[in-house]
Amino acid sequence: MVKLRARCILLGDAAVGKSALAQMFRSDGAHFQKNYTMTAGVELFMKSVNIPESSDSVELFIFDSAGKETFLEACEKLWKQPSVLCLVFDVTSETSFRSCERWLERVRAHCQGLQVPGVLVGNKSDLSSRREVEMAVAQEWAQSQGLEYHETSAKEMENCEAPFVSLAQAFYGMYQDRVQTIQSLA
Amino acid sequence: MTEDGAAAEVVLVTSGDEKHPPENITDRKMETFWMSTGMFPQEFIIRLSSAVKISLITVHSYNVRDLKIEKTTSNDITEFEPLAEKEFECTEGHLQTNDFSFNATTATRLRFIITSGYDHFISVHNVTVDGKYE
Ligand SMILES: Nc1nc2c(ncn2[C@@H]2O[C@H](COP(=O)(O)OP(=O)(O)OP(=O)(O)O)[C@@H](O)[C@H]2O)c(=O)[nH]1
Ligand SMILES: [Mg+2]
Repeated sequence: MVKLRARCILLGDAAVGKSALAQMFRSDGAHFQKNYTMTAGVELFMKSVNIPESSDSVELFIFDSAGKETFLEACEKLWKQPSVLCLVFDVTSETSFRSCERWLERVRAHCQGLQVPGVLVGNKSDLSSRREVEMAVAQEWAQSQGLEYHETSAKEMENCEAPFVSLAQAFYGMYQDRVQTIQSLA
Repeated sequence: MTEDGAAAEVVLVTSGDEKHPPENITDRKMETFWMSTGMFPQEFIIRLSSAVKISLITVHSYNVRDLKIEKTTSNDITEFEPLAEKEFECTEGHLQTNDFSFNATTATRLRFIITSGYDHFISVHNVTVDGKYE
């Protein structure tokens, strides 16, 4: 049995639904916050993800970061050596999608050459009539950045676990790979 | 292991995989190792069987970047003082071997703190302590 620990940085523009998504994941879908409460700085919580067909798990320490630029400096202080990244945009906002590149650059500056698995999340998929970013476009950009693409609706409880589970599994896969490498060295 | 071949044991560790437990750090075998399981810092404490005047500490590891060593002669594990600090070189494909020499510094416990790595996961294969009993 092994319990891994991963520092998961949750980032993206303000009001795209990072905290809503984090809350849905944390409460197993029991709690959706309808009214917007801006995150000021970073909110941290931990949730454990079990790896199927094993007794192993990954504890995700989720750093829900503010999207508002004013808090950027404070957030960046807590982004040291991330294990995994969760980059979120709002599918009804082209602007929030275009910001992703800049968010990625910012956080990669803290990766110190580490290989950091990441996902791109298009949230608010329930607002289909207001969609500005097509799935295929987002998917293509995600792929070009080595990110796995997921669409979610925190409001409708759609797919909210998937991005986090996929990150936990990627981190777990990396661990197994490293153990093997090290075993072959000695 | 000390010059006299006496015991040293790991008494605290911050993370773990049952398959690669901290005992592997002091078992004198290079094939077995302790593996960290994510995030930094990581630390472990080695207890020496009694006070030793240390002349050399050797660390065999993989993917460790910054390591700090602290020591204490007291039983109170909150009272560690800095002993050494080093940035290890990245050695892809083989283990890192790093020596720390001292002019007979006395300790009963040593604390090793890994503040960063060249990967998310690091391994420590062996720590040997050379010196004389007080
Ligand atoms: N329709 C819809 N609204 C959502 C969804 N997710 C979040 N919202 C709403 O979007 C608003 C912003 O959500 P937050 O989760 O606070 O956004 P945030 O990204 O954490 O914002 P900052 O903390 O300022 O960076 C809130 O009013 C949420 O109720 C969703 O999937 N669908
Ligand atoms: Mg928020």
